[in-house]
Amino acid sequence: MSTAKGPLKGRAAQLGRLMPSGPSSAARTPFVLLVVVLLGGGLITLLLLNSALNQGSFKLNELKDKTTELTDEEQALQRDVDDYAAPDALERRARKLGMVPGGSPAFLGPDGRVLGEPSVAVAPKPTPKPSAGTGAPGTPSATRTDASTALRTFGGPADTGTGPTGAFPADGSPAGPGPDAQDRRAGTGPVPAPPVTVPAPTQTGR
Amino acid sequence: MPPKEPPGRRVPGPARPARPRPASAGARTPGARPSRPAPRPAAKRRPAARQPRTIRLGSPRPRLRLISLGLTLVMLVFVVRLLQVQAVDAGAYAAKADKYRFQEYTLSAERGEITDRNGIALAASVDAYDITADPKLFTREESKTADAPEQAAALLAPILGKEPAELAKKLRTPKSRYTLLARKQTPQVWNQIKDLKRVYGQKAQAVGGNGINLLGGILSEPSTKRVYPNGELAAGILGYVNAEGRGAGGLESMLDPELAGRDGKIRFTASGGRQVPTAGSQGTPAVPGSDIELTIDRDIQWAAQQAISDQVRRSKADRGYVIVQDTRTGEVLAMANAPGFDPNDLSAANAAAMGNAALQDAYEPGSTSKIMSMAAVLEEGKAAPDTHVTVPNRLHRGDRLFKDDVDHKTWYLTLNGVLARSSNIGTILATGRLGATQAESNRILHSYLRKFGIGSPTGLHYPGETPGILAKPQDWSTSQQYTIPFGQGLSVSAMQAASVYSTIANGGVRIEPTLVRGTKGPDGRFTAAPAPKESRVVSEKTAKSLAQMLESVVDDEDGTGNKAAIPGYRVAGKTGTANRVDPELGRYKGYTASFAGFAPADQPRVTVYCAIQNPTKGNYFGGQICGPIYKKVMEFALKTLHVAPTGSAPARLPVDFEPTP
Repeated sequence: MSTAKGPLKGRAAQLGRLMPSGPSSAARTPFVLLVVVLLGGGLITLLLLNSALNQGSFKLNELKDKTTELTDEEQALQRDVDDYAAPDALERRARKLGMVPGGSPAFLGPDGRVLGEPSVAVAPKPTPKPSAGTGAPGTPSATRTDASTALRTFGGPADTGTGPTGAFPADGSPAGPGPDAQDRRAGTGPVPAPPVTVPAPTQTGR
Repeated sequence: MPPKEPPGRRVPGPARPARPRPASAGARTPGARPSRPAPRPAAKRRPAARQPRTIRLGSPRPRLRLISLGLTLVMLVFVVRLLQVQAVDAGAYAAKADKYRFQEYTLSAERGEITDRNGIALAASVDAYDITADPKLFTREESKTADAPEQAAALLAPILGKEPAELAKKLRTPKSRYTLLARKQTPQVWNQIKDLKRVYGQKAQAVGGNGINLLGGILSEPSTKRVYPNGELAAGILGYVNAEGRGAGGLESMLDPELAGRDGKIRFTASGGRQVPTAGSQGTPAVPGSDIELTIDRDIQWAAQQAISDQVRRSKADRGYVIVQDTRTGEVLAMANAPGFDPNDLSAANAAAMGNAALQDAYEPGSTSKIMSMAAVLEEGKAAPDTHVTVPNRLHRGDRLFKDDVDHKTWYLTLNGVLARSSNIGTILATGRLGATQAESNRILHSYLRKFGIGSPTGLHYPGETPGILAKPQDWSTSQQYTIPFGQGLSVSAMQAASVYSTIANGGVRIEPTLVRGTKGPDGRFTAAPAPKESRVVSEKTAKSLAQMLESVVDDEDGTGNKAAIPGYRVAGKTGTANRVDPELGRYKGYTASFAGFAPADQPRVTVYCAIQNPTKGNYFGGQICGPIYKKVMEFALKTLHVAPTGSAPARLPVDFEPTP
């Protein structure tokens, strides 16, 4: 108050007297600093927090988009697979390869006994053989070692590789790859079955 | 008055300490601010001089009262309103606020898959988009082009596979802001459109562009689509879904509660339409529908469908059915209808072909039903397979003269031969022995027919399934009591007919057919369907005799079912050629050709039933047109199920006998 005596006049002086005076003015700077630091720190923390959240939400959006995209792709691929695996499509492609539906099933026992009457599948319209008999006739039979059901269906066009595998190739699974796959699953493995030679019964069938 | 003045004046507290100083300025201050309280010494000094300049106020008391009353009233209004907002209507206001603060969305549950017995999907749900448009953006004013709809339609038509004219017409819808261009398109289609949109957007912004994206008004709405990857395959069984994605026919409708799942909800605090990240969200997650595993084998189903569709087309028939059933479990391996429909494109489907006719059509089965008469005769011990039956050329019974389908001289047949040659007269004669009187015979036959499942639903609970028609024995008309033994005058569904043969194949125990193997819940756990009901219809011995008799139908040279023979196998079967009741005319017109049987005869595994309604071209005999289908499908099923021939010798029961002169 005493320092302010000179310049202060009138009402200003009256108001000036209301201000706290004395030693308190010495502690003012650190306090102001503290407040500034607190406020500033708070603001910056909030900013960081917000940008972190935003970044997270960007990431989330990105990942969601990616998920949608991948789901779409997966479904499109699944559709393609389904189209290829549909029985109708399989039949068409099998016929293109020269396969024909097999006749009545015949089975080859592990002892070489033939169950059923093997016959030559008759093509409704003879198609040129795509390939001469390769190892194909032997290989599938070799996988058939399961004791009770190790039986083979016959009836394909005489000497193509498609014959024994495709008793009803249109579908593929029932006589062809299906049983083979099952045997393989059973863990027997492709052990060559000594007594079984597929072409022989096919010949007798003819 | 003057003496009262000082107490009435408001005395400023803080000004008091400043009194000594302004003494010099005192003369100016009171004059300048008359409303201000003058310092007391000054007032004392010149009371008389100041008097005229003082504003004389009225009594403050009434004023204060008035003001406080006014304030009280205002406060009262505030309090009442506060109470109303905070206490009385609190709930409503909170809800209103929540509506703006919270946003709620439905999480749609994914519909379950339907798979065959090997887990191959027959019906699945995939993501799709409905392509929509805002026609306002295609108007001349908005697009600044005269033919924006045509241009856009020309671009979109090849992608959506529609006619440009049709799309342009939709885009020209006047005064509308929404039009649906194409439903349920694949995400790839929408991606293509999006790419086009982007290209046109860039073009519009580029130099020379008019700044308006031609395709800006093309939008999309996410949706889901039910796809049937195998098209027509098993469509009759599966049914279809409606536009909302709910089951509307077949199994889709029957199993809708399981398939549909439960929609979920999510609620979160939103600001400007976006979720406030820190505020959290709540809701119930969607529960996806269960996957249903059918007893159908896709491959057998395909073979059956292929065979019957071919034959129905070749015979120019109304329709046909094939049913393949596992005799040991009652599981339906295939149930094919022809003509079928493609559930992926219902708009192109023929409404009459959209049901599952194999379960929904009731028709007179004809001779295939003779097996039930034979079962009754054998089980009652009234005859044996080798019992002699002399079959005359004509038989007069009731009001009618019965004949066989071929005109013959008197046949000397065994009971086995009656079945093999499918003699109506022989069957009437044999069933006549069931009871002492005709009425009693009727009653006994009726009880067997009921036990075989005729006249009651099969137990599949399939929507629209027919129980068939079987009158009570006392209601049988004079002719009916002689026609029912050979399969006219009663109606069955194809499934019921197939089940009869499965019953005999299964040693006389009828197992209710099943279509559903089980369900796989959202938790991935498989729950098998409840075991079907079993009931014994005939003894094992009778069933065995019947199987041997059925073999004669196929392997005897005079049998009616030679075309069904499968070399190497013992095949049991029965042909049927029935007079068909035309559903439109209500009288007999045309035929129902059928064939039923199972193989191998001595260790049955598969039952195949085939029927063709109203073949109009070529042969109409069951043995001739259904026999080959039976053979084809049976061969396929035997191969698929790896059923080897039993290798035993066929029974070859005698068919006829030498009449003693």
